[in-house]
Amino acid sequence: MSRDILVLVELADGKIESMTFQLLAIGRQLAAEMKVELVAAAIGHQLENVVEALQGHGTDRILVVDDPALTLTAGEVQAHVFAEVARQIEPRLVLVGYSLIGMELTPAIASKLGMNAFTNCVNVELRDGAVTVTRPLFDSTMHAQIALEESATAVVALQKGSAPATARSAKKAVVESITMDVKSIPSRSRVLEITEEPKGDVDLAKAEIIVAVGRGIGDKEKIHFTAELADALGATLACSRPVVDVGWLPRERQVGASGKSVAPKVYVACGISGAIQHLTGMRDSKRIIAINKDPNAPIFQVAHIGVVGDLFEIVPALTKAAQEAQTR
Amino acid sequence: MNIVVCCKAVPGLVTDLKIGTDGKAIQYQGQLLAINECDEYALEEALALKRSGGGQITAISMGNIKALDILYYALAKGADKAVRVDCESQDPRVASTVIAAALRKLDFDLVLTGTQSRDTLGGQVGIAAANLLGIPFAYAVVDVEARENHTVKVRKELGGGRYAEVELMLPALLCVQTGIQPLTFVPPARRIRARQQPVASFSLADLGLQSEQLTPRGYRFVGVRAPERAHQVELLHGSPQEIAAALLTKIQESL
Repeated sequence: MSRDILVLVELADGKIESMTFQLLAIGRQLAAEMKVELVAAAIGHQLENVVEALQGHGTDRILVVDDPALTLTAGEVQAHVFAEVARQIEPRLVLVGYSLIGMELTPAIASKLGMNAFTNCVNVELRDGAVTVTRPLFDSTMHAQIALEESATAVVALQKGSAPATARSAKKAVVESITMDVKSIPSRSRVLEITEEPKGDVDLAKAEIIVAVGRGIGDKEKIHFTAELADALGATLACSRPVVDVGWLPRERQVGASGKSVAPKVYVACGISGAIQHLTGMRDSKRIIAINKDPNAPIFQVAHIGVVGDLFEIVPALTKAAQEAQTR
Repeated sequence: MNIVVCCKAVPGLVTDLKIGTDGKAIQYQGQLLAINECDEYALEEALALKRSGGGQITAISMGNIKALDILYYALAKGADKAVRVDCESQDPRVASTVIAAALRKLDFDLVLTGTQSRDTLGGQVGIAAANLLGIPFAYAVVDVEARENHTVKVRKELGGGRYAEVELMLPALLCVQTGIQPLTFVPPARRIRARQQPVASFSLADLGLQSEQLTPRGYRFVGVRAPERAHQVELLHGSPQEIAAALLTKIQESL
């Protein structure tokens, strides 16, 4: 066993997801502390630009499986290819992004390799000599720390935002091409096409202020409280997933892992508990204001300013204050 | 099409969290168990598929006797059969081994489950079980269309507003997203009647599993605590008007 650290590169539309660079930053620090190599693995087709972009991030080696059969690839086949790559280097840790794609692959890869997988992790570090992961439990109200045994290997899926991308490294990684008979990998599923959400009238990415409403609003008839606040502040109205799931607002207003990622100057979260899928899409906002009646809501873990209280009292009061400020 | 829905019984508010003596599980005091919300959406999708194409729905849950409640709830919602697997484990590898062994005993074309449970937030068991069974899988599915040639066409989320249309040969396993169907209300009378229906029970011996397959290994819990904050949140106090005035100032100075 090499005991190296293997980072699985996630691609979207042929480009490297920003998450991958965070994984490389974490992997680079761990590899230095553990005195092992940092290895990145990319699979797909026509990966020349991907390999180039992976250089300068502290990897010792870049493993590439470049095959036309990996253009539109089902999860089954991607998991098979990544597991084969991992078998060749027998890593101590496999780092994956905790994304929708990562969560399709992680359990399958771990299962193929007979490894434990730890998903949804906020951290992986060396602590008292043991590789230790931190991950949430119970609606993210608690965090558990789990230490790996000395000999144990694991797949670790890390949340976005777990680490900042670090300074570029002068180290030039060795690029190794791995040939695999991808076409003959048994597969009972195939990707027919990739589609994009049709562009609506709302452009959340351009908004300077976002007022976002969550399940805490409780009723479609009460959405207007937050819509009025958005109007008064000159903000754009957005929401978390549960609000879309029950049909109170259209999907184009959804912020989060499966919706839009935003980073406005001000993000006002009203009645949003702060599931990780939501935080992923808004934690880079410059100033996060959270209004929630539950002081333990995970939204307060990322908020800069918090109000523990009834949003039906706070939101109308803020609307009124903003309207008065406008007319002055 | 015969569908198995994997649903988990999860606690509401939990308190007194501590690490078990073997370091392999978190112990806690919890309120009554309810069906994991993500899995309830899987059940709704199964019911929708049954309405359009017929077949039988089996709800399966792994857990102690308390998990029976959510199986009765699934029966009340319209599942035809229910199976409880008598095993408690928070370890995803153990749980997926047990669920895969239970699925081998059942007749199914499609397995539906949610994307994660609200207690362990792992999201691993469905896909890992599919891998053990050697059947195709898809995660974060938002639409399922049954087709005549023993396949399903699904739409799954890739994140950031992108989707993949995937065709899977049956049998297959899908982890469905919340919101795939509206949640329906079950009248109390029907919930009470459902408690008269039988629920099958599989023991680990029935599934032919050995104890080494059921032992978590390779790690131990070393801490459980409230999350560290990215930065200290500044909490505002006062009357709604005072808070509103303070918030407005903060918003204006951020622009």
